[in-house]
Amino acid sequence: MTEYIVKQNALADFFKSLASGRRLLTPRGTGDKCKLGETPPDQVTLEYTNTHLSPKSLLFPQTERLMAFHNERDKPNGYVYQSLGDNGEPTVVFGIRPCDARGISISNKVFQNDRFTDPYWKGKIDQTVFVGLACDAPSPQCFCAAMGGSPFGESGLDALAFRQGGDLGLKTLTDKGAELIKAAGAQEANLADEIKKLEATAIEAQGVKADYKPIDDLDLMDLFKDPHWVATAENCLNCGVCTFFCPTCHCFDIQDEASERGGVRMRNWDTCMSWLFTVHGTGHNPRPTKTERVRQRFMHKLKYIPLKQDGVRGCTGCGRCVAMCPVNIDIRSVALKMTQTAPSPA
Amino acid sequence: MPQLSEITNKIRESARKALESGKAEVVIGYRQGTIPLTTAPFFARTAEECDQLVWSNFARINLANYLSGRTGKVALVAKGCDARSAVGQVTENQILKDNLYIIGVPCSGMIDNNLVTAKEPRPISEAVETTDESITVKGGGFSTEIQKADVLRRNCATCVNRTPKLADELVGPEINGGAADDFADIKALLGKSLEERMAYFKDLIKDCLRCYACRNACPLCYCPICFVDETRPQWLGKSTDSMDTMTFHLLRGLHCAGRCTSCGACETACPVNIKVREFNRVMELTVQSNWRYEPGLSWDQKPPLTMFQTDDAADFIK
Repeated sequence: MTEYIVKQNALADFFKSLASGRRLLTPRGTGDKCKLGETPPDQVTLEYTNTHLSPKSLLFPQTERLMAFHNERDKPNGYVYQSLGDNGEPTVVFGIRPCDARGISISNKVFQNDRFTDPYWKGKIDQTVFVGLACDAPSPQCFCAAMGGSPFGESGLDALAFRQGGDLGLKTLTDKGAELIKAAGAQEANLADEIKKLEATAIEAQGVKADYKPIDDLDLMDLFKDPHWVATAENCLNCGVCTFFCPTCHCFDIQDEASERGGVRMRNWDTCMSWLFTVHGTGHNPRPTKTERVRQRFMHKLKYIPLKQDGVRGCTGCGRCVAMCPVNIDIRSVALKMTQTAPSPA
Repeated sequence: MPQLSEITNKIRESARKALESGKAEVVIGYRQGTIPLTTAPFFARTAEECDQLVWSNFARINLANYLSGRTGKVALVAKGCDARSAVGQVTENQILKDNLYIIGVPCSGMIDNNLVTAKEPRPISEAVETTDESITVKGGGFSTEIQKADVLRRNCATCVNRTPKLADELVGPEINGGAADDFADIKALLGKSLEERMAYFKDLIKDCLRCYACRNACPLCYCPICFVDETRPQWLGKSTDSMDTMTFHLLRGLHCAGRCTSCGACETACPVNIKVREFNRVMELTVQSNWRYEPGLSWDQKPPLTMFQTDDAADFIK
């Protein structure tokens, strides 16, 4: 871990170097049009809050075509599956926010672990270098620190950039990041104390100071059985907004779209808010009402993922679901309700 | 200039009375949202819970959406459009009229947050509202007053049914509507070629995520299983294929023909700001010009497309 600095007048060359030999993706556009896009090095901006949708579609597109199959028995390769998976291309993502990078690191453990390796995810992530941009002005909806992250968080990143007056400070976090930043001509500098100071100010600026720790200590079944879920779910519309905007929601539905001649196998984003998500072939549905579905989403984020990932919460505090929910179901309020769960007698 | 707190107090009083008198077991209204520029649907079952009910310039979601299939007695806090949807729920047999008590709120229109952020792009951490004429938004080092007339939702700007006339009671003085939607843009669109119309609608929905927030926020979309969710057989692909997405929007538009009250819940719910109502406005114009019918203004009239008459003017139906 080394810190670097790029002076304001050297920024243009720095971004040019990042983009050399690979595509450079940065947040572009404003408001609901802000998204990661290929950016000419002279058009990189640091003036944005965050992308409207999370950047997960970069590694996990809403629709991903996995393979094609044919019914051409006369031809020698008539039944051979043809891979359609997009294995990515050399890419630098500059300006991803620490909350979203953390989201990618959480999903990474779902797509790559000691049991499975998802080739489509792996192909793309292996070729991508993530340079985050720390948040010096958190938006009113941000609560990454309350969820265990930080506006200067490092999880999921190869390097973290931050504004240092008009200059750009950098901290490299992986070999991949170090190689990229060094090659881009950044100057070594000792900025560790400066980062600590900026980070403390940014955390202080976040409005939400809630302590969700009690959820970690409460028994899973006590949380599950608490009666508040009925009221918590009562106004839910069961649309998929929260799941589609969430940087860590990773569930998908595999579909074959086929005719007599052949077809394509694809996977699409799915949403646990839909009754269809769990309905069985028999017609039985283990999550028959919105109460079970809403409980699932919050239990997954705040209890199941932490249990599986050494305490790391499945919510990164990016605030998208809070801002986008049509009926204002606020994960911060739900988490607080969960902390108030009464433990059952031992 | 009506104070919002006055209306809020009247709503709470009516809600408590509805619960005490047994007219309702639950009152569905709005409570303050947890973030600026927002309210949340709220279900009050006790006198204490009634104190959480509020009136606001951000009461956008149509609460009639929570009526279909309800069996107990319910009181509904309703704007003009919501009350029309509630009447629709009765005429379409989704709820018994005897089980429904409408607390009508004459409405001067609701605010479109996108228009607010267009006027004040800095991050807003607080919105103060005391009257139904203006709001003040605040953030780091700024405080900006915005007139509601400048940031009304477009369905509210052309609303002519601001006062819920079929409500069981009104909690404020009647408000008259202004100029109705003249459909000038829709008429111009319908005069164009098929290709141009298709191009228009394709562009309209290009950002659609198929999250179905529009459908789920809509009080008309109460089908137990929506055609897009059918699996045996599966009518529609699940991918981001543009024709599948278009099929969803076209069919939803047709299913809502002659039933839509322009409440704008679909557009409020859409997370990528698609003007979903364009589909509905085409059908609204069609139904109005063919049958001179406007939904939700009578307890007895059925929507034209759910009716059959032996003396129908059209040949095909006989």
